[in-house]
Amino acid sequence: MTECGWLSDRIPAVSAGRAQWTPEEVQHLNLCRMCQQEWELIRVAGRLGNSAGVSFDAPAVTGAVLQRLERHREMRRARRRTWGLTGLAAAAAIAAAVWTGGVDQGSMRPVPAGPVVAGRLAIPLPELESLQPAELDSVLQTMDEPNVSGAPVDEPGLGNLNSDELESVLDSWEG
Amino acid sequence: MPGSIRPDSTTDPDLVAAYREGDERAATELVRRHVKALGRFLYSMGAEQDDLDDLTQETLFRAFRRVESWRGGASFRSWLLTIGSNLLRDQVRKRKGWLVSIDDREIPDHSDPHSDLAAGEAEDRVREGLTRLPRLQREVFLLRAQEGSDYGEIATLLGTTPGAARVHYHHAVKRLKELVR
Repeated sequence: MTECGWLSDRIPAVSAGRAQWTPEEVQHLNLCRMCQQEWELIRVAGRLGNSAGVSFDAPAVTGAVLQRLERHREMRRARRRTWGLTGLAAAAAIAAAVWTGGVDQGSMRPVPAGPVVAGRLAIPLPELESLQPAELDSVLQTMDEPNVSGAPVDEPGLGNLNSDELESVLDSWEG
Repeated sequence: MPGSIRPDSTTDPDLVAAYREGDERAATELVRRHVKALGRFLYSMGAEQDDLDDLTQETLFRAFRRVESWRGGASFRSWLLTIGSNLLRDQVRKRKGWLVSIDDREIPDHSDPHSDLAAGEAEDRVREGLTRLPRLQREVFLLRAQEGSDYGEIATLLGTTPGAARVHYHHAVKRLKELVR
């Protein structure tokens, strides 16, 4: 970076009182017309508004701002109370409707899952079809045993199922 | 921290923490420290003098309402000025107008000596030049010139990179030098 570039980056900090010139920088500034012009520009920009009479009564401004903040907080509290009451009223209305039979309770009852699952879970297992009844019993018994070894259960991969089978499985999960 | 606010030695982060805990004197002290700089910044950004009170109050209201979002990555003042700048931009958009030209502004009548007059003329030219800069250049330039903010701080505030902030600043300086000459 040139000396002018370096000074250009330093001018605002010095002008705002955040930094001070080094003797070398002062020397350059005294000789360089471009840097003097920039220094003057930043000095003027830093003073902008002073002559426009921009001054505020800090306690009065704070008072007004804090009053607005309090009003804002109060409005939020009131809104929250309103929503709470609305929620309670809605819950009470639903409870009353259920209590008096206004809602068709049959439609809310869960559908019994057992038979439907048994009926729909028709996943073909050709490797079991050739087994004798005794062998099949033995296999089924081992499948019923709990997995106490801690080894991960070998779940059937859903990725191998076609869309109808997958739908059946998902239906059975949803009950 | 009631009773522990010392106007000159308590830092802005301490004051913000005290305000969060409910100490309204901390808010008063923060306003006292920064309200004038905020007004000057908004004026330099192109706000009309008649709007300054409202804009300043609205900026402070928004800042205190969302004071949790100030995380100290930039100085409290610079953060405040950025909120003010966004507010001013929204106001200008709503009015669908342009920032006020210096010629249309009410410039206070100075009955000061010649040197003050010359200084006033230089300020007028800089302000006029500022209204012709793109908003981002103007904002970066003023944060540098009025606050001495570094590029990292400006980048944090404006959601850009320090390198981009530096480019905006140097473009602004170049154009202002041409306009003010």
